[in-house]
Amino acid sequence: MKIKVKLYGTLRHRVAGYHSPQGLEVEIPDEATAKDLLDTLKIPGHRGAVFIMEGRILNADDKLRHGALLDVFETIHGG
Amino acid sequence: MKFIRVNMTDKSIRVQDVPEEYSGLGGRGLTSIMINAEVSPKCDPLGPENKLVVAPGLLSGTPLQNTSRISIGAKSPLTGGIKESNAGGTVAAALGRLGITGIIIEGQAQERDLSILRVDKEGEAGLIPARDYKGMRTYTFVEKMIELYGKKTSVLCIGPAGEYRLTAASIQSSDIDGHPCRAAARGGLGAVMGAKGLKALIVDQRGQSPDPIADPEVFKEAARAIAKAVKAHPEPGHLMPTLGTAALVAPLNSMGAFPSYNARKGVMNGWEQISGEALAELIKKRGGKTTHMGCAQCIIHCSNVFVDTQGKYVTGALEYETIWAMGGMTGIADLDTIARLDFLCDDIGVDTMSTGVGVAVAMDAGYKEFEDGNAAIEMVEEIGRGTEFGRILGNGPAAVGKYFNHPRVPVVKGQGIAGYDPRAMLGNGVTFATSPMGADHTAGNVIGLCLQGKLDPLKAEGVVEISRNLQIAIAAFDCTGHCFMATVAVLDPEAGEPFRKALSAKLGTELGPEDFPGAMGVRVLKAEREFNKRAGFTNKDDRLPKFFYEEPLPPHNTVFVISDEELDTVFDF
Repeated sequence: MKIKVKLYGTLRHRVAGYHSPQGLEVEIPDEATAKDLLDTLKIPGHRGAVFIMEGRILNADDKLRHGALLDVFETIHGG
Repeated sequence: MKFIRVNMTDKSIRVQDVPEEYSGLGGRGLTSIMINAEVSPKCDPLGPENKLVVAPGLLSGTPLQNTSRISIGAKSPLTGGIKESNAGGTVAAALGRLGITGIIIEGQAQERDLSILRVDKEGEAGLIPARDYKGMRTYTFVEKMIELYGKKTSVLCIGPAGEYRLTAASIQSSDIDGHPCRAAARGGLGAVMGAKGLKALIVDQRGQSPDPIADPEVFKEAARAIAKAVKAHPEPGHLMPTLGTAALVAPLNSMGAFPSYNARKGVMNGWEQISGEALAELIKKRGGKTTHMGCAQCIIHCSNVFVDTQGKYVTGALEYETIWAMGGMTGIADLDTIARLDFLCDDIGVDTMSTGVGVAVAMDAGYKEFEDGNAAIEMVEEIGRGTEFGRILGNGPAAVGKYFNHPRVPVVKGQGIAGYDPRAMLGNGVTFATSPMGADHTAGNVIGLCLQGKLDPLKAEGVVEISRNLQIAIAAFDCTGHCFMATVAVLDPEAGEPFRKALSAKLGTELGPEDFPGAMGVRVLKAEREFNKRAGFTNKDDRLPKFFYEEPLPPHNTVFVISDEELDTVFDF
């Protein structure tokens, strides 16, 4: 399936070929999870990446949906 | 370990050793416990009975990095309850290096009298007439102080708003570059300072008489471990120096929890134009600074310097809460306008958050249109000029709501909310409702736990306990002078061990996890709650405004669902 990914924070500079604000179209297997996408994008787990799909924060094993827009952030505790 | 007590009524200054009952206290712990012990809760906050307590943290002035937070406390003229507001800058480290535990401003000068309190490098304090500086805005004032006393001078000062005794007036704190762009902004402490007849506290940074560290070797080792943890942590080590707290704009909008158009929507139109990413790109393009050391002994550098198209300084440390209040709440998707508003608030000496929320309430009431940047600038300029509307706005969003008879006023205990809508982030709703400070994100912010997937922002389960534990932890860390950005790296129990070691080594007392943050945080909160209770607050004051319970917030279309009974259990300890 195909999903559109938008990266924020320092992650924008960590993924090769990423151009904001267009985002990135990623092709991943059906049934892929948020964790699978992290691996595909080669973002190390310890960076504290967070996925938000349609306003909801995903858990690592949550399945992604074809055609969805995923915003990917790093954890931040406040301002 | 000494107090400097300054009586503004007779201009006397008394230096005393820290009495036993205040021993081991610093920062918010000292301000809150002293206010509770020495200030009548029913007093007029702008009268002679109130006290303004300025306290560096327990670790300020030590070699431990990121410990220059200054706590300022009093009875708040905005909330009518106890207030501690803390700020970065350089003054806490300067006071710590002089072994000054607290400066207590008491009494009240005669009408129209104005003074500066100066502490020199020997720690000697004296009052200087300041009538020549009456009405002066903060940037000019700090420039003059630095001209007079040299670059190694820290300044805490008020602007016209504090002199007018407006209840959203701030106390501005100078940064490393001598810009008064840090603020103890919340709760109207600038008005308390103005009512005392004090324009500024200025402190020489070259003091060399800090309180001794009980075990310097253990302290040094612990400080090294903390620095390593801070540098290695993705947030203070990487994200903060890249985008600063403005990094929050994007996730809050993505989550639908960014209170916009006076909290009518959870996503702002055009938020991408005011995101942390857009801010960094704009600053970089113009030759400003996306990363900047604002506070003494900082190794994070979350600050920034915003410049105009000519590369000229506009404002420092344009941060999330200001971008939200001046941008999200008003619908103004323009960073230049927001930066100008930030500068104006700092220069006039008024809280950017209360002011932004106040502007939004006025717009919501139909006084001006949302998204009208020029109107917002004009409204804030009116505060500086002291016009009738300016004084209303400078008294905070509740005063604006009352003026327009507008029912949608997002305040708790009279203080405006922060940039997390309680309907889309229930945990922060609990903190806003129950914090003794009024709506205050710094009292216990759940955003990090939500993003880590440990707390569903839309589910009620567990939020009371989480808010309670965070409020206890933050109350304890607020005693130390340690910056929250660095605290993020030592909040987890295991990572917290070196911090506890450093604090134990400083104080010469072995502290366990039950002592810090546990017992220390509980002690502070109990004192604050006790003061508020004696001031007349009841559990009915620990509630959000009605519209948060009734008006669904798009896009999730949820309301705040934590019951009154649950809110009343937050402080069951």
